[in-house]
Amino acid sequence: MKSVTKNIRKVLTCLVITTSFAAFSAITIANGEVGEHVNHLSDNIKKYEEEVNWLSTKVDGIVTTYQKSGAKAAHPDALMEHWEAVDFHAAIESNYVLIYASIWQGLYAVKGSIDEKSSIANVKAEQVKLERAFWQALGAVKMAAKFQDEGLLAKVKTTNEAPKNSIEALVIIDKNIHSVVAKYAEKLTDTATTMVHDTYLNLFEGVEGELITLDAKLVEDLEKDFNVTLPLAIKNNKSVDQVRDIVTAMSKKLTKAKMLLENKAKNKKDVF
Amino acid sequence: MQRRAFIRSLSYIGIASAFPFLSTRSFAGSIDVISSHAISVNDLPELTGELTLYLGRGEGGLYEDVLNAIKKRNPNFTLRIRRGPTAALANTIMAEAKAGVRQADLFWAVDSGAIGQIVGAGLATPLPSDLTDQLHSKFRFNDWAPISGRIRTLPYNPERITADKIPDSIMALPDSNLSIAWAPAYASFQSFITAMRILEGDKATTQWLKAMNKKAKKYAGELGVVMAVERGEVDVGLANHYYTLRLKSGKPDAKLDLAFTKDDAGCLVNVSGVLALKESKTATDFIRYLLSKEVQTYLSGEAYEIPLVGKLSPPEGIPSLTEISPPTIDLTKLADLRPTLVLMRNAGVL
Repeated sequence: MKSVTKNIRKVLTCLVITTSFAAFSAITIANGEVGEHVNHLSDNIKKYEEEVNWLSTKVDGIVTTYQKSGAKAAHPDALMEHWEAVDFHAAIESNYVLIYASIWQGLYAVKGSIDEKSSIANVKAEQVKLERAFWQALGAVKMAAKFQDEGLLAKVKTTNEAPKNSIEALVIIDKNIHSVVAKYAEKLTDTATTMVHDTYLNLFEGVEGELITLDAKLVEDLEKDFNVTLPLAIKNNKSVDQVRDIVTAMSKKLTKAKMLLENKAKNKKDVF
Repeated sequence: MQRRAFIRSLSYIGIASAFPFLSTRSFAGSIDVISSHAISVNDLPELTGELTLYLGRGEGGLYEDVLNAIKKRNPNFTLRIRRGPTAALANTIMAEAKAGVRQADLFWAVDSGAIGQIVGAGLATPLPSDLTDQLHSKFRFNDWAPISGRIRTLPYNPERITADKIPDSIMALPDSNLSIAWAPAYASFQSFITAMRILEGDKATTQWLKAMNKKAKKYAGELGVVMAVERGEVDVGLANHYYTLRLKSGKPDAKLDLAFTKDDAGCLVNVSGVLALKESKTATDFIRYLLSKEVQTYLSGEAYEIPLVGKLSPPEGIPSLTEISPPTIDLTKLADLRPTLVLMRNAGVL
């Protein structure tokens, strides 16, 4: 429990840092229906806690069944079904897609280790990582609830709005590429690839013309990331961690791009 | 015929002699092809009341800058904006009209094809001639006003090839020994193919696409094409002019020059444009602001677009339009994108 608390603290710190950029941006399309509950997080924290406990019990039950009766009896596909059944799913996807991706990664790691008939020690090691991701996610949602209560968190919307300028576009781009990791972790490879392509063509392509006049090398790097590095990693079935590393590096470049455009905006000449 | 080089002169736009004839009114036969001057906002009436603008996404936040400046200058004017991809907004306007609703007063689109769709459906309101007369004569239309232009070009790497190796016919490009970059999924490219269909016919266009598909390297966007040329991955690319100018702005020693084909789709000049969907003095006056000297200069200076009003200079690094030879084509016909996409799919390009 001590290490879980420590991890939650780490996540919360991370959340505070990322608030200034994209983690709590308003626009989110969840995997399926987004319930109105995501705009009333505090009212639903108790329910989310119950769901996390329920999920932990279910995961533990599957692992125990595997230990006693083998992979077929364990029915590891139920891991995903249980996860998709809870409201907490939308709460974390709407507010902190990075941990959302870790949960999917953890679900597939437990399932994969059972499917491959790994030793129970290996399966339990993956179970611990998944549990950690659940509790980190709950901590993140609690923090988001606090921000929401203080009016610092914009209302979650189920449709995207067009960005008004390149800086707003960069915020959406950053959020989208983190969602790519989540979709990849969900094993939705085609969705992840399409998301990369659409984010490039519909958003980044509109930003890079302005950005290239400020830092051509940065645009060249991001062009390569969008069109080669990231889609290739997905196509070649690299691990979720490897895809996340690419996205993290891209995110840093986007932060630099945002800074350059903000500086430019300060010195922009007037139209009239 | 092997000509061409990147012409750095900043000669003034003798635009009309080079451009296609597009409007019935522009057949005025005038030799005075350029309007005498661009009007300053200082000479425009104050905007009052409310308007709803459907704004096609493009040019980063530059269009937003223009709109904010107009709002700031006119405190008694309220502008509601709906933003989205140009094609999607055009479809929304069509759907609204079908339902008997007109929510937008104005539509500012990043390409003339979308404008053509609305004009073709008879939804645009005629503009007064004193407004359209500000535009170069070849860009005067009854129902809409072009705002700024962009030219299809062949960016090339001068360390790999010389200008005389580039054919001046776009149709001859696949038969050259050049390595080529293109971005077929890109909207401007598809407008260019539509122009080719109109000018050369479906059969010749299909053959061209198939031949190109065998040798061209595919990129997602046209800035990617230009960067590939600069890196020396290929000899030549197909892209709008401003990508080269922007890259050269951020990287002055970039190994890039521009070539132009002659009198074909490879040298198409496309435009962004605005139209009014309801009769309204405020809407008309709003368009006057977009055609003002200040806005035209701003879009040219910041986005490297070509001004289409008065005697304003093109962006540095682009030849005078009298020195290139765009094809004669009705830009509003570029709206007919569906057969282009079918043709591109059949040719195995998309």
